[in-house]
Amino acid sequence: MARALLVTIRETRAYLRDRGELAFSLLLPIAIFALMYGAFGGESMFHGTAYVVNEDVDGAYSTRLIERLDELDNLDVNLLSWPEASAKLRRSDVLLVVCIPEDFSARLISGWPTQLVFRQRGNGGDEGQIVASLVRGVAEEISQEIQIERQVQRALVGKGIGQEKIQTTVQKLLDREREFPIVGVSEETIGTGVDPVHQFLPGIVTMFVLFSITLNARAIVEERRKGTLERLLTTRLRVGELFTGKFLASVSRGLLQTLILLTLAYIVFQIFTPVSFIQAITIVLFFAAAGSALGLVIASVVRSEDAANWIAVFFTMSMVMVSGTFFPIPEDSILYTVSKLSINTHANVALKTVIAEGGSLGDVGLELTILAGVGVVGLILSRILFRVVPGGSR
Amino acid sequence: MAEVFLMAEDLHRSFDEYKAVNGVSFTIHKGEIFGLLGPNGAGKTTTIRILSTVLNPDHGDVTIGGYSIRDNAGAVRSLIAVCPQELALYADLSALDNMVFFGRMVGLGGKEAVAQAMKNLELMGLAERAKGRVDKFSGGMKRRVNLAIALMGTPELLFLDEPTVGIDPQSRNRIYETIESLRDKGMTILYTTHYMEEADRLCDRVAIMDGGQIIAMGTPQQLKSQIGPPEQVTLEDVFLRLTGRTLRD
Repeated sequence: MARALLVTIRETRAYLRDRGELAFSLLLPIAIFALMYGAFGGESMFHGTAYVVNEDVDGAYSTRLIERLDELDNLDVNLLSWPEASAKLRRSDVLLVVCIPEDFSARLISGWPTQLVFRQRGNGGDEGQIVASLVRGVAEEISQEIQIERQVQRALVGKGIGQEKIQTTVQKLLDREREFPIVGVSEETIGTGVDPVHQFLPGIVTMFVLFSITLNARAIVEERRKGTLERLLTTRLRVGELFTGKFLASVSRGLLQTLILLTLAYIVFQIFTPVSFIQAITIVLFFAAAGSALGLVIASVVRSEDAANWIAVFFTMSMVMVSGTFFPIPEDSILYTVSKLSINTHANVALKTVIAEGGSLGDVGLELTILAGVGVVGLILSRILFRVVPGGSR
Repeated sequence: MAEVFLMAEDLHRSFDEYKAVNGVSFTIHKGEIFGLLGPNGAGKTTTIRILSTVLNPDHGDVTIGGYSIRDNAGAVRSLIAVCPQELALYADLSALDNMVFFGRMVGLGGKEAVAQAMKNLELMGLAERAKGRVDKFSGGMKRRVNLAIALMGTPELLFLDEPTVGIDPQSRNRIYETIESLRDKGMTILYTTHYMEEADRLCDRVAIMDGGQIIAMGTPQQLKSQIGPPEQVTLEDVFLRLTGRTLRD
């Protein structure tokens, strides 16, 4: 066993000394993490722009509408002329423009209904739909205010109160109501929301660990070509020890990589508790063992480094694509059944359970059993197929 | 006559339909340098792989130091070392680290491995470069490290598979001197080479293989005398006479 550990230490040292491999296995996922953090790590509240064409220039109600929109924290107002708005819509620079018609204020003053017009490409896009909803809300608010003004005026007819005073008083009351509404809404934030980091982190970690581990098959083929494997087996090192050493080196490499990536995630995204962190590392230990065993199967069947590379890439990408790493897989689809064949699926489910859902290792017993089973079967299979030299007896 | 240290009996090994080794038998005496010569594809490497326990023969057996490779390969491996034709080194390690690693693999303790590695590097004229990474070494230096590794654990039987391929005369000469000193210390050596003058200089006896079989065996002097006066004939003349002048790939 001591010789197996010496093989493990040598392999791990070689991995740490290989700058290219380190860059691939550590810096690339870190770079992807940084991109994710840039994309998802900041404020996740909506903030959009309302593109408005105001043909009712200096109109009392169009001015009030625009001011109200501008007062919203999550909305900017960008006034455009018709030609500008048309050009932007044509180029799809914007997908929705709010048009205030020329007679907007005049009709409201005369007591006639009027309409805002939403000019949009398709459904106006996600942002456009939210902007449209906010504009509708403000328009309804103004509409209700006008109705209240009219009702108050009607009620006070003949009481000797001037119309201007009625308007000013009603407006003051409405402003106070907006500031201190009778039915208010408050926000209570409990932890983080459904975070894209939760969604993607397990998949990215397992993808890179699997890549790194299966590409290790190439290193074994290279060792076979260079003659070091054969030389080792003319020493007192037994095949079982060599095999154990290679397997442990591969698992250590996966764990080391995971430890760095998850520690980074711990610090940057603050999505772990100490317990969930240790649980996540434990899950990846099972995953790394399963992946290492499959990497050894690849090393056992291929004869060239190129073949090892391509099989490792194909194998990893297949596992990643069907595991729902980048897109959710509906439960009633055929792909859902296929996804159960991927070890990444089971590792991702287990990691999401402990990271995002606060589950424990007991909750992911099935996933861990499957990963352990794949590891054991992979090890037995690869040991049967493994040959130090092609056609060799050991 | 010294005791027989290696006895190969009727070895056969095929790969699919191809018979790489076809009835090879020979003995090597303790302290002897035995040359195994032959053109490319003659079966030398397969024979060495069988002798060094990497391949099992389809038929026949080998006894080394009294142990059968079939029944007691582990004991055989504790007696032998192989210096392969390839530079079987870890390029990312220093010469010393390579030697210590392989030293540990042959059963040396940590300190013992370092001490023996330094001694062997000294022997190869590489003590000053002990901590240099081998991927920065010249071809000759790598060859010498390749041989030095094989000496770790002081094996009783050393397989040297073309140890002087592609190196400068100085490095080659150092390797010759090392091999001669090993013989003087009583080490048994099986030596393969394509350089006939090398075999003539170093080997006590040689066997010439072709087509998976041994077609001639004896001392260089005996083989040369089969085709003319030994002082006028070279081993290369004998080799070409026996194996022909047709190109082998």
